[in-house]
Parts: sequence; structure tokens; C-alpha cells
Amino acid sequence: MITTRPLKLIVLTLVLVTGAAVCWELFLRGKGLKPDFDDSPELWADKRARVYEPADKTTVFIGSSRIKYDLDVDTWQNLMGTNAIQLAMVGSSPRTIFSDLANDPNFKGNLIVDVTEILFFSPAPQVSITPNEAISYYHKRTPAQKASFGLDKMLEPRLVMLDKDFYSLNGLLDHLYVPNRDGVYAGLDFPIGFHSTLFSRQNKMTDSFLADTARINKVRGIWGSLARLKSDPPVSGKALDAILFSVKHDVDQIRARGGSVLFLRTPSSGPFLMGEKMGYPKEKYWDKLLATTHCKGIYFGDHASLSNFQCPEFSHLNPHDAVLYTKGIIDILKKENRLATAIH
Amino acid sequence: MVFNSYTFIAFFIIMLILHNLPFPWKVKKVNLLLASYIFYAAWNPPFILLLWLSTVIDFFVGRALYTQPNKNKRHLLLVVSLIGNLGMLCFFKYGTFLLDNFVLICNALGFDYHPAHPNIILPAGISFYTFTTLCYTVDMYKRKSEPVKSLLDFSLFVTFFPHLVAGPIVRPPQLVPQFETPRKASKQQLTNGLLLLTLGLFMKVVLADSLLSATADAVFGFPGKLGALDAWTGVLAFSGQIFFDFAGYSTAAIGVALCLGFVLPQNFLYPYAAIGFSDFWRRWHITLSSWLRDYLYIPLGGNRQGNFKTYINIMITMLIGGLWHGANWTFVAWGGLHGLYLWAERALNYHKSSTTPLMGNSSEPMISTASIVPGLSSAKMNNGFLKALLTFLLVCITWVFFRSTTFGGAWQLLGDMFGGQAGNPPLLTTIAIIKVAVVITLMLIFHWLMRGTTVLKVAGRIPSWSVALIWSAMLILIILSQESSKSFIYFQF
Repeated sequence: MITTRPLKLIVLTLVLVTGAAVCWELFLRGKGLKPDFDDSPELWADKRARVYEPADKTTVFIGSSRIKYDLDVDTWQNLMGTNAIQLAMVGSSPRTIFSDLANDPNFKGNLIVDVTEILFFSPAPQVSITPNEAISYYHKRTPAQKASFGLDKMLEPRLVMLDKDFYSLNGLLDHLYVPNRDGVYAGLDFPIGFHSTLFSRQNKMTDSFLADTARINKVRGIWGSLARLKSDPPVSGKALDAILFSVKHDVDQIRARGGSVLFLRTPSSGPFLMGEKMGYPKEKYWDKLLATTHCKGIYFGDHASLSNFQCPEFSHLNPHDAVLYTKGIIDILKKENRLATAIH
Repeated sequence: MVFNSYTFIAFFIIMLILHNLPFPWKVKKVNLLLASYIFYAAWNPPFILLLWLSTVIDFFVGRALYTQPNKNKRHLLLVVSLIGNLGMLCFFKYGTFLLDNFVLICNALGFDYHPAHPNIILPAGISFYTFTTLCYTVDMYKRKSEPVKSLLDFSLFVTFFPHLVAGPIVRPPQLVPQFETPRKASKQQLTNGLLLLTLGLFMKVVLADSLLSATADAVFGFPGKLGALDAWTGVLAFSGQIFFDFAGYSTAAIGVALCLGFVLPQNFLYPYAAIGFSDFWRRWHITLSSWLRDYLYIPLGGNRQGNFKTYINIMITMLIGGLWHGANWTFVAWGGLHGLYLWAERALNYHKSSTTPLMGNSSEPMISTASIVPGLSSAKMNNGFLKALLTFLLVCITWVFFRSTTFGGAWQLLGDMFGGQAGNPPLLTTIAIIKVAVVITLMLIFHWLMRGTTVLKVAGRIPSWSVALIWSAMLILIILSQESSKSFIYFQF
């Protein structure tokens, strides 16, 4: 027997837990932090389930991280009058999700594919790990998991402490920065405020991040460290042709069902852009992609309204520029009626 | 649905309220049954049909087995039930495995046979509820207990949501009588139940999922060679993960049932404090090992037909126990390795008993009935901890086969553990190694200190404010972990 007064024990426990949780939440809010969503497979699956909405009411976006920052979902929805479903995934190639949609006989909608060459054309299996996990989760999702997500989405935007990356038990332990043995890959440690996530899955850099040069430089340093990693040269020759062929196959499948596909190259700047231009020349990759798939595309450097953005950390737009960029691509799409005629 | 999800919290609160409203007992049982079906259907609604089929067949066949005087007809009824239960299990769980092996044999014999690969989805907990209904059928055949009188009680016995998908595997006499009279948890039971539920979730969410699973996954999923430190850390992490995951589920299940006024059998008793392997199986998944003893080992002849036959029976039991866990030869190897350990232990005991007098079984620790072979009765407690540690390390080696998906992967990891070269690139971060080291060390100490008692007994001996502090700390860490909705490993078995 635990105690002769069991209810008193339960009440005391609840008071302690509630007190600790409230203090922790207030402490985090006192640091100026705001709640956001974890960019989890659950959130991705919630969006993935919406791709079957009618094509005239919905546009699906896939890509790597850039489109998640650069597309302002509210601006798109207000100006286009259609829903923007964000399925892009950070640090991954969109080809995996592309194939998943292409192989889904019920998907007949408009698809915009953002191309970050180093990831899009990568043959490395690592760039498919997180998309595969999310796709697998979506296809195996149980009614109980859907219901749990329904409850979770009510809590997450209200509590800062539910930020898994930084304030979960593992998040806190991993940010103790205990030195590692030489050669251990500890993952990419992006600073807080760099990838605040909305329910729409749009990423935004926070104001405090944008005002903090040290944190911006830390992200720039991460890009630099990635560039210095020993890796295979950019894919070319038959391996590139195989990738292009598989993309064309996916495009054709979607077209055959009446859907449309448009490619997008979102802005980058500074040394990042220089490196991309050297490694992945436009004519050898982007132009070849459009020629092979017979799709239309919007390359940021080809349009005056899109070509002068400066990314704070060289790779993603800040929230203000994301609105301008989104307006810019909408203008181009409307002017040239590209979305409706993307494949025709 | 899983215990560690928001859905379950809402479901459980509704169940507690409904169960405590002044409804007639039959209405409450119907509530529990419907809730159990909802609990199961929340994974994959169509599989509820299998559960119904299994329940209805075994209820009517069980009754007929008990009352049928004709021996041949009783045999026939038993065969019908076994085909129904085991056939379903074989199709869903072992169908692909059997086909793969058949194809391998065909190809080895020179037949070019390549059938389409079936896409069979495994219904959650099918191994558990099949064993639950199977023991009822066998008991009825042997007339060991009375048949359950009402279909409602039998359905609830099979489907009662706390034990449905991952045990403990209950026997009819353990649960059915509890459905016959009205039950409602006392305040004491409710408190104990909530404490056990919290402890189970703490083990699952904080220790298994948050602190250990990533390290185990990284090591077992690493395709190349590893250094010994990384290899051992990964294996130790999985040893902790599998315990906290499964014992966490059992503890939560016992707690949930207790909150509703029902008592489920213990399933784990600090197994990593076991001294020897028979002691381990008295403490690990107790309801499965006792099931295998009563419905497999003893019917095979147990230890009644001489030493040689006893060894064979032990091995058959452990191999089938391994196969029960999963449709892969690696699980069979895991069971076989435990069988070898039990052989060695039995041989050692036999040698000792021929030179020194054996202590009587009365001095053995609790749950001796769950053992399929005698324990290490000559173990001295003064060096017991070292023996327990050795047992733990040998058990860790078996987990390599359990967790690896291929023999190649298992042998490579074993090679890395015992001969890992310093030149292999390091894999794990320092903080990951520290997490595993701290959790496993505390786990072993805790198991050793608790090996002769239970959590509720200890909680009853310490001041209430201490219990409240520990309970709060567990809840806060569960909230902080944010590892909700991860499936339990044993659901796939």
C-alpha cells in the first residue's frame, strides 16, 4: 500500500507537475521564445492527405528547404485564391516525394517542384531517408495516430516547451555540447530561431535570429562546413541521365492523369550561389531538366523581379523577402498563365 | 492505440468516468468490451474481424470440448480450434517467411520458382491474443477449468484492452472470475494503478524511446565496421531499450487494469538481476515463459523422461519461443542461444549437485513456477551481483541476433564487439555514450536492489512526499521527452 491518504498523494503530485511545467513555460517565454510546430512526419502526413483536393483549388509544393522559407503560404493563398500544400522537406531531395505522388493514381493536381541542385540531383541514399520515413508514416497512419495529431495540433501552438529540437529532454542534452571523438558526425546544429515552423509547414527565420549576426554566421558556417566535406563530384553522364529519365517518368505519370508540373529554382546568394553555379551550371542541369521533361520552369536569375534577393545566410529568404518572392512568382505565373499550361 | 499517445489519455479518462458511473455491471462490461474493440480498431479497423472470429470460434469450440463425451469428436474439435488459431497466426505472421524459405529450397533444388511477393499486413498483437485463446481451448480439452459461461465474459477476457496487444498473456482463471462480480477500483487501487501507469510510460517514453532507441538504431543500422566502444554501446542500448519498452508496456497495462479494478499478472521481475538463465526466464516475460512451460515444455515430456529428452525439450521450447517473437531465422537463433545457455546451466547444476547437496526449491525466489528448468540454487548472494552481471552480458549477446535483421549483420556486430579495431571510424557522439552508460548502470543497480521486492512495496515504505517527488519527476520527464505515439516493439510480435 502506497499511503493511507492516496488522493492527497495524487493532488500533491499534480500540483508539483503543474507548477514545474508552468515555471518552465514561463521561463522559456521570458527568453522571448514563441511556440511553433515540430516539422514532424505527423505534420507532413497531415498535408500529404490534402493533395487530393481539386486541382483548381490547390497547388502542391515539393522541394528541399528553400521553398519552405521562400514560399509565403498566406500570400500565395490570398493572391491565387488556392490552397498551397507544402510537402517540401529540409535537407532532402524532392524526387522521393515526387515519385510517391506520381505513383498515387488519385493525385491529379498541380505540382510545383523546387530544385536545389545539390540535393535534387544527388544519387546519395541519405537524401531520401527523411522523405521515405514521412511517406511510410503517411501510408501506415492509423486512426489513433490521426486522432493524436488532432489533439497535438491544439497544444503545440500554445506551448513553447513542446519545441522538440531544443527543449525536449534530448534537445536539452544534445545542446550541452559535450566534445566528441575526432571523426564523429554530430549532425547539423542550426541555432534557435532559424527554422521556426508554422502549421502550414512554412519555415520562417525569427526577428531575433535576423538581428543576431552570430547566429546568422553560425548557419553560414554550417554551409561552409558542408562544402568542405569530402563528397563525390556532381552527378553527370549516364547517372545524370538516369535521374532525369526517372523524373520524366514521374512527370509523365502525373500528366497522364491530367495534372501539371512546374519547376522552380529559388534564390541563393553569396558564396553559396557561386559554389552552385560552379558545381551545377544552369545549362547542364536546369536547362537539361526542362528539356528532358518538357516542363516549364521559373529560374530566379532569369527574372528581374526575382534576381536581386539577398539571403541572410546565403540560402534562404527572410520572411519579408519571401512575401515579395511569392508575389513575384505569382505575377509571372499569371502573366504567362504558366500554371495552367505548364505542360501543354 | 498506444498508451503513450494523446488519444489514449482521452480514451482512458472517458473509460474511467464511464466505469465509475452507477450503471449495472453488465452495462459496464459492455462498455469495456466496446472500448476494447475501439482500442484495437484504432490501429486497423478491418482486423477487428479476426478478433471476433477467434473469440467466437474458441468460445463455442471450448464449450463443446468440455461437454462432448465422444473422444474422437473432442479430438476433432481441438484440431478445428488449433487450425483456426494457429492457421491465422501462420498466415499473417509466418506466411511470407514460409514462402521465402520454400522459394529458397526450390531454387536450391534447381527449380526456377519466383512467386509474387505477398503484401501481408501483420495484425497488432496477433501472437498475444492467439496464445490467450489457445490456452483456453487446451484447458477445455483437458477439462482443467470450467468453460466460461457467457460470451460477453469470454469476449472481454480475450479483448480486455490493457492486455490485448502486448500482454501480459492471461489465463482464463486469472481474469474471467474478475468479470463475474462488479468491480470498481478503490482509491488505493486507483493510486497504485496511476503510479504504475506513470512508471510504465516513464520506462517507455523517457528511457526506451528518448534516451536509448536512437543509439541502438544507429548501431544496428550502421552498414560498416564499428569500433568496440560503439558496438558495445549500441548493444547495451538495445538491451535497455527492449526491457524498458516491453516491461514499460506491461507495467502500464497492469496499472491501467488496476485503475479499473482488475488485477493482471506480473510480467517482469527485474530480469537483469537474474543469476543464471533459468532465473532470467523466471523474471523476463513471465507470462510467456510460463505459457511455454505449461502448454509446450510439459506436454513434450518436460524433465520426466530422462536427462537427454529434457535437453531436447528445453531446446525445442526455446526455439519455438524464439520463432514466436518473429518470422525470421535470427529470432530462432536467439531462442537457440538461450537454449544453449540453459543446457550449460543445467549441466553445471547437475555437476554441482553430484558433488554438493542441492538447496531445496523452497529457498528459490518468487515465481519459481514460471521456470522450465531448475534455478541456480547454489548461487551465493555474496558474489551474486557478479554472476548477475555475467548473465546480463551473455543475455546482451543474444540480443544481437534478436535485433539484427540478418545473420550477416549479427556476426559483423559480434565481431566488432569482440574484435572491433581502433581504426574504425567512430559513430556515436559522446553524449549518446553517456546516456547509455548512465541509464544502463542505473538500471543494473536498480534491478539488483529491487530483485526481491516490488515498486508498490517500496513505495509503501517511503514517505508520501518522497513518492510524490519521484512520481512528479517521472511525469515531468515524460512531458519533457516529447516522444509520444512511438509504437511498442512487442506489438510486431
